[in-house]
Amino acid sequence: MRNVRIINGTPATKSRYGSHYGERIFLLGSERYREWIPWRSKLSAMILKGYEIEMKGEEKILYLGAASGTTLSHLADIVDEGIIYAVEYSAKPFLKLLELARERENIIPLLFDAGKPWLYSGIVEKVDFIYQDIAQKNQIEILRMNSEFFLKKGGEFLIMVKAKSIDSTADSRGVFSRVLKDLSKDFRILHHDTLEPYHRDHIFVHGKF
Amino acid sequence: MRYNLWFGTVDDGIRISEDFKKSFLLASNESPLPFSVSELGLRVLGRDYYRILRKTAIEVAEERVRKELGSDEMYVIALVKALEEVEEAINMVREKDEDIRLVKEDLAEHFERALAEMERLRSQIEKEIDAVMQKIAPNLTEIAGAKIGAKLIEKFGSLKKLAFAPASKIQIAGAEKSLYKALSRMKRGKEARVPKHGIIFLHSFVRSLPKKKRGKMARFLATKISIAAKIDYFRGELEEELFSSLKKRYEELRRA
Ligand SMILES: C[S@@+](CC[C@H](N)C(=O)[O-])C[C@H]1O[C@@H](n2cnc3c(N)ncnc32)[C@H](O)[C@@H]1O
Repeated sequence: MRNVRIINGTPATKSRYGSHYGERIFLLGSERYREWIPWRSKLSAMILKGYEIEMKGEEKILYLGAASGTTLSHLADIVDEGIIYAVEYSAKPFLKLLELARERENIIPLLFDAGKPWLYSGIVEKVDFIYQDIAQKNQIEILRMNSEFFLKKGGEFLIMVKAKSIDSTADSRGVFSRVLKDLSKDFRILHHDTLEPYHRDHIFVHGKF
Repeated sequence: MRYNLWFGTVDDGIRISEDFKKSFLLASNESPLPFSVSELGLRVLGRDYYRILRKTAIEVAEERVRKELGSDEMYVIALVKALEEVEEAINMVREKDEDIRLVKEDLAEHFERALAEMERLRSQIEKEIDAVMQKIAPNLTEIAGAKIGAKLIEKFGSLKKLAFAPASKIQIAGAEKSLYKALSRMKRGKEARVPKHGIIFLHSFVRSLPKKKRGKMARFLATKISIAAKIDYFRGELEEELFSSLKKRYEELRRA
């Protein structure tokens, strides 16, 4: 993937910025890389498991559930010539996210509820890609609404699904197959897999609108 | 049709906002825009479009973060108090309903309707507690459940105070009355049982265990709640592994 390398068995992104969450910085010749810890980031885990998503570097991305910006910081290294609209509704992690946004010119931080996309419909443009990592019961509905508002036709999404947050008692395999069925109503699913052993009880789903 | 954009409004023509921070928060539209906000913006604001947008977004967020940090917690505390009173009211009305029914059934229907309405209100409050708790204390909510977590915040006065409280206090919070009773009995040289759990007794992992294992579970749960509250207070981000260790302990105790 663009600007990503595996260094000593761990993904890392080429970056001219410093450490954001305690990750190490590697120097390879004249290039700097930021270690991308798979236990801390589901996207890193996905890449380490061998699945990659093509990025040109100038994409417009909508990121739902950015938290304090761990994964976002690496995504911003990858689409270094693009724009990422980062939505997060909780004030505390947002403080840290703001630190990141102040130094990265390609991040637009949005303190909004992703379940109410109309509230930011006059801010976010049509995007090429939606990345969603929101541990909520209605996470599929959130993806659907945001896609309707912001995802280009033919645009892609990547969603990290946590079984327990959708149904805390049901067996996770059942939850995942329901989620896939639900998603395929509005999207074409390109690939999905678990995030074991890095994130238990999670799958990622990559699809197209 | 009028469209609200972060840098102004569009109907017949474009009206550029005089205060971007204000229009940023009014940029709501019922349905997706039929044109591209960034294309229009680039035409109107020029090459600086994204720079201005980012600056506005950061400034707006800085102000809102500061405001929200305290107010959500106050809201949840008010909700918990309201919930307790509504629950009490429901019980009271139900009791009176039964008293009256013993004599005459004439008013039964009215009571029933009022009770149904109050129960709807209760579940509405519970839902709101759930939503706010997930946002301000995701770890505490995952470990204790939204309602218990909120009651604990209310009991201790704030998330901060809960985060700094010793686990032993968390374990018996809400059982103070029976603790004092027990202590004063002991002072008088009598036998008494010290309570092993207060609010956290409502947790299904404690309640569903046989009586003699509950104390152990309550102690473990209280430690985890203390850790969860600390993470929520300092970072506010969900730690996935916390819950699985709690569940493991529960399974162990259940089988033991
Ligand atoms: C698992 S964390 C995301 C971690 C992050 N993606 C990373 O890898 O760095 C989920 C985040 O989604 C946020 N969230 C949950 N519901 C949301 C909503 N309705 N709108 C916006 N953010 C939400 C939570 O506050 C939390 O920070």
